[in-house]
Amino acid sequence: MIRIGNASGFYGDRLSAVREQLEGGDLDVLTGDYLAELTMLILGRDRVKDSSLGYAKTFLRQMEDCLALALDKGVKIVVNAGGLNPEGLARKLDAKVGYVTGDDLKERFPDALTANAYLGAWEIAECLRQGAQVVVTGRVTDASLVVGPAAARFGWKRDDWDRLAGATVAGHVLECGTQATGGNYSFFTEIDVTRPGFPIAEVDEDGSCLITKHDGTGGAVTVDTVTAQLLYEIGAPEYLGPDVTTHFDTIRLAAHERGVRISGVRGSPPPDTLKVCLNALGGFRNSTTFVLTGLDVEAKAELVRRQLHDAIGTEGLTWTLARTDQADAATEEQASALLHVTIKTTDPERAKGFSRAAIELALASYPGFHVTAPPGDGTPFGVYRAAYVPRDEVSAKAVLL
Amino acid sequence: MKRPLGTIAGARSGDKGGDANLGVWVRSDAAYDWLNGFLTVGRLKELLPEAGEVSRYELPNLRALNFVLHGLLGEGVASSTRFDPQAKALGEWLRSREVEIPEELL
Repeated sequence: MIRIGNASGFYGDRLSAVREQLEGGDLDVLTGDYLAELTMLILGRDRVKDSSLGYAKTFLRQMEDCLALALDKGVKIVVNAGGLNPEGLARKLDAKVGYVTGDDLKERFPDALTANAYLGAWEIAECLRQGAQVVVTGRVTDASLVVGPAAARFGWKRDDWDRLAGATVAGHVLECGTQATGGNYSFFTEIDVTRPGFPIAEVDEDGSCLITKHDGTGGAVTVDTVTAQLLYEIGAPEYLGPDVTTHFDTIRLAAHERGVRISGVRGSPPPDTLKVCLNALGGFRNSTTFVLTGLDVEAKAELVRRQLHDAIGTEGLTWTLARTDQADAATEEQASALLHVTIKTTDPERAKGFSRAAIELALASYPGFHVTAPPGDGTPFGVYRAAYVPRDEVSAKAVLL
Repeated sequence: MKRPLGTIAGARSGDKGGDANLGVWVRSDAAYDWLNGFLTVGRLKELLPEAGEVSRYELPNLRALNFVLHGLLGEGVASSTRFDPQAKALGEWLRSREVEIPEELL
């Protein structure tokens, strides 16, 4: 059995989670997911400003605090915090570090700000087999952070489909951190989720596992909390990954005194293509929210729409009127509706002009005019799209420093 | 009895590019038999009128249904003008809709 913990479900997750997982009990490996589709865009913009960046800076802070502790306890660290620059992050860590590279396909997709293939588990496993204490990757599938260490520990083969599928399910449960232990859980009133603990998978040689958490931590690991996380961000029951296709309709869950046992998972060969996460700059956006209080809400909305259209035209504007108001309300807030307007444009000047036009209405519009917060100058926004490339045209590599 | 679906069903939702996914599960076999017959694509679209093209998948082993709401989020979270651009609360919206639930399941 190998005990694999998770200490991060996104870039910005609880900073102290690494220490909590290291001090809370025994672990063999501590993983962390820092990369969402949106995060790749944020890191892409970091990289444009400074080519030495492009990784998750919070992970570096966590390692300044906890790397010595991890090394002392013999816990291996495996994270995708490398983002767009795994080598740059790897070189900042004082340990035997391996990194995974080859996911960056920007040369193949020159119009994109970021273009990264979802790599799998085998390069992570290779780094660990070569003795890495820390493994830093760029874009790998979230579940690979768990599959890689299990495959390395048990010497799994590339066609051990059921084992790989079992570990993929463990990885899917862990990849969003506390969403497996009662965070964001529909029946939250039944458990204490004041401060849910981070999840742990005890993975066996056959790919089955026990989902649990350290004793004394908050939240809960139940069949329901695990079911909730299994349903997160999935499509068809055939869950495609770079190393294996995992059949979610074969998962068996059973309550256990320390959490939930997962078994029975079947796998089959993966597709011949790898998915690529592409982010391009889509333009600039800006938004504001007008507060419409009391009588004539529809007519007030109509007036402010007409005024803004008259000032800057209709192009790129999206309006939503949220009728949060109640008639004859006892508080001012309950008497108020919210009129949201967003502009999306390729012209940064137009995004900026939107603010001016909205604010210039302040003494010239509907009675009770105010906004929830004054609009800023506008910000660039990204457009995400997925592409698929033949797997033999991507050369993933494990590098030991 | 007309009650919120969330009286007996849990849900979790999220984003995949411009699509949203919405998983719904219940806690007994009897409740799943009912849910699987009740929550068709047509019914989901009645309950969530903002939905367009919808795919539906059955996961009886988890007593769950998974729906993919295609194109709900436009070109993805960073560009969406939706009120909830990552569809995080789509599931809680569905749970709040009142539906006819057999009394023995309540």
